[in-house]
Amino acid sequence: MIGRAARSEHVSGWLFVLPAVALIGLFGIVPIIWGAILSLQENDLLTPPTWVGLDNYRTLIHDPVFRASIHRTIVYTLLFVPLSVGGALAIAVLLNARIRFSRFYRTAVFIPVATSTVATGIIFNWLLEPTYGVVNYLLSFVGLGPYGFFQDPDQAMYSIVAMTVWGWLGFDVIVYMAALQGVPDELVEAAKLDGAGRWAIFRNVVFPLLSPTTLFLIVWSTINALQVFDEIYVTTRGGPLQATTVLVYYLFNQAFELFHGGYAAAIAYVLFLITLVFSILQLWVGNRRVYYS
Amino acid sequence: MKRVVSLVLPLLVLLLAAASCGGGGSSNGVVNITVWHGYEDVEGKAINDAAKRFNATHPKIHVTVQNYGNADYALQKVLTAIRGGAEPDIAYLYGSWAANIARSPAAVDLAPLIQSDPSINWNDFWPAERQAVQVGPKIIGVPALVDNLALVYNKKLFDQAGISYPSDNWTWDDFRAAAKKLTNTSTKQFGWAYVNDASEDTVWRFDALLWQAGGDILNSDNTKAEFNSPAGVKAATLLQQMATVDHSVYLDSGNGNYANLFNSGKIAMLFTGPWDLSSFTDVNYGVQILPGDLNHQTISGPDQWVMFDKGSARKQAAWTFLKWFTSPQQSLQWSLATGDLPIRQSTTQLPQYATYTKKYPGAATFVLNEANAAKARPVIANYNEVSQAMGQAIQAVLLGKAQPQQALDQAAQKVDSVLASGQ
Repeated sequence: MIGRAARSEHVSGWLFVLPAVALIGLFGIVPIIWGAILSLQENDLLTPPTWVGLDNYRTLIHDPVFRASIHRTIVYTLLFVPLSVGGALAIAVLLNARIRFSRFYRTAVFIPVATSTVATGIIFNWLLEPTYGVVNYLLSFVGLGPYGFFQDPDQAMYSIVAMTVWGWLGFDVIVYMAALQGVPDELVEAAKLDGAGRWAIFRNVVFPLLSPTTLFLIVWSTINALQVFDEIYVTTRGGPLQATTVLVYYLFNQAFELFHGGYAAAIAYVLFLITLVFSILQLWVGNRRVYYS
Repeated sequence: MKRVVSLVLPLLVLLLAAASCGGGGSSNGVVNITVWHGYEDVEGKAINDAAKRFNATHPKIHVTVQNYGNADYALQKVLTAIRGGAEPDIAYLYGSWAANIARSPAAVDLAPLIQSDPSINWNDFWPAERQAVQVGPKIIGVPALVDNLALVYNKKLFDQAGISYPSDNWTWDDFRAAAKKLTNTSTKQFGWAYVNDASEDTVWRFDALLWQAGGDILNSDNTKAEFNSPAGVKAATLLQQMATVDHSVYLDSGNGNYANLFNSGKIAMLFTGPWDLSSFTDVNYGVQILPGDLNHQTISGPDQWVMFDKGSARKQAAWTFLKWFTSPQQSLQWSLATGDLPIRQSTTQLPQYATYTKKYPGAATFVLNEANAAKARPVIANYNEVSQAMGQAIQAVLLGKAQPQQALDQAAQKVDSVLASGQ
C-alpha cells in the first residue's frame, strides 16, 4: 500500500522528469522503433511502402559494397581509437607537467574540437590538395611526395584518419587532464620514496588510476568511429572509387541519394548490432582490467 | 484523472502551436500561397522583388516566398513537409528529381492545366526544359532555370601560348592538342579541368561527349544501358588520354576548386555553365560552344517549379503566379537582375534583351548554345543509380585505375540489373 503522501510524491516526480522523458521518447525511442519497422519495408520515402519482411537483410548479406563498407569502418576504427586515445594520453601527461605556456598549449590542443567540421573539411581539402596544397609543398623539401591524399583511393582512408585524430584529440586530452588532477600526490610520493623512476610511477601508479577514464574514452571513441560520417561527407564524399564509403556513408547514400529508405534502415540496424557487440566486449574486458579506487 | 490532464495538456498545447504554424489558406477573399526556394544574394533579392511586384498587381492573391536553405537538400525537406501536410504551394526543385517527385500524390500534374490554358504558351520554353519536366504522360513542373555547358577559356593564356582562340568548329583533336600546349607542369598550369568526384557533376560533362560521338545513355525505352557503346568508349578514351597520358587535366575533387584556379589563371579551359561566370572577375575570358566530334551537342540542366495540391483555390492561385513569373517579360526581368539565361525562347526577341547580352558578356553564346542541347538525360525514378554507376566508371578511367571499355561495361552491367529489377 502506498500512502497518500508517497503517491503525490510519485506523481510530482514524474512531472519533473516529464519534459526529458517526452523529448527522449519523441526524438530517441520513436525513431528507433520506426527504424525497425522501416527496415522491414521497401520504402522510397515518397510513395506508400510495401512489406518485404527480412528481404532487406537478406540482400545486405550478398551486397559487396556493404561488406566492403563494414571492412572499411572496422579498419578506420582500429586506427582511429588507439591513435586518438593513446596520443591524447601522451599529450595530457606532457601538458600536466609544470611547463611554460602550458595554458597556450592546452588551448591549442582543444581548438580543433571546437572548430566546425565543415571548416575543418575545407581547410584540409586545401592543405592536402595534391597539386597546390601546402602539405605536398612542404614534403617536397624533404624529397617526399607528391601524394594524392584524399584523391588517391589508396591514401584517402589514412588521410581521413589523420584529419579526424587531429580533430578529436583535444577532447580526449581534456578528459585525461581532468583525470590526472585526481591522481593523489601521496601515492606518487610514496612510489618515489620506494625508489620508483618516472616510467615505473607512470606504469604502476598513474596509468592504473587512469584506467576508468581510459575505458570510457575507448568505448566513446569506438562508438564515434563506427559512426564516422561528417568528416567524410565534407571531404571525400565516400570516394574516390568508394575508398572511404564507410557504413554510415553507405547508409546516407542508400537513403538520401538512391531513395532506398528500408534498405538504409536495415544498414542502421546492422550498425547498431556491431556497436553493441563492440561495447559489450569492451565493458566486459574493462570490468576485469579497470581499477576503480 | 488529474495525472492524465497534466500529461495531455502540454501535448495539446504543442499540437495547437504546431497547427498554427501551418500558415497559408484564404482570408477575406485573398488567397495566400507559399513559394519555397533556395536563392541567395542577388537571386534572393530578385525573387523577393518579383513577389512584391506580383502582390501589388494581383490584389486577390498574396504570395509569400520562403528560403529553404541549400537547394541540394530541397527534395528531403519537401518530402518531410509532405508527410506533415506542411508542403508549400510551389517549390523549386532540381530537374534530376522530376521522376521522383512525380511519384508523390501531392505533386500536381500540370499537363491538363497546360492543355486547357494556351496563355502559358508552353512550346515557347526551350526543348530541353520541356523534356526535363515530362515524366511519362505527366508534366511535373514549370521550367525555373536553364543552363548548358560551353567552353570557357582564358584569352591571356591562349595569347601567351600563341594559339588562336577556340572556334565553333573545333574538333576533339583540336581541343586535346590545345589543352596539351596550355599545360605547364613547372608553373602548375593545366589546359583543362574536370570534376572528378563521381557525382552527377562528373557524369553530365561525359554525357555531352557521349552524345557528340553519337552515343546515348540508355536505349530508347530506358530498359538497357547504352553508354558502353563504341561512342561511349571513344568519349571515355578522350578523358583517359588527356588525364593519364597528356596530364593536361586538373582533376577537381568536387569542392569547386576549379573555379578559383581558373580565376587565378592556373587553368586555361573549362566546360562550364553561366552560373560560374560571375566568379571569373580576374581573367579576361571568352565563351565558345563545346568542341565536337560528330556534332557539337551540349547538355542542359533545367530546374523546375513544382506545384503541390493544397485545394482548388490555392492551386489556381499558384498556377496564376507561375504563369506570370515565367512569362517572357518577367523572365527577362529575372535575367537582367541575376544573369541567368532566359527560360523562354521569345525572351530573346524582346527589345531589352540587348541590354542583357551587353550586361553579361558570354551570356549570348550560352543562349545560342541552348540550340545544341538536343538530348536530355533519361527522366526515370532510378536515374541516380544510373548516374552513380557511370560516375564510378568515369572516375576509375580518369584515375587510370581501369580501361574505358572495362569500366563502362561493368557500370552497364550494374545499370542493366537496376533497370531490370525496376527498383
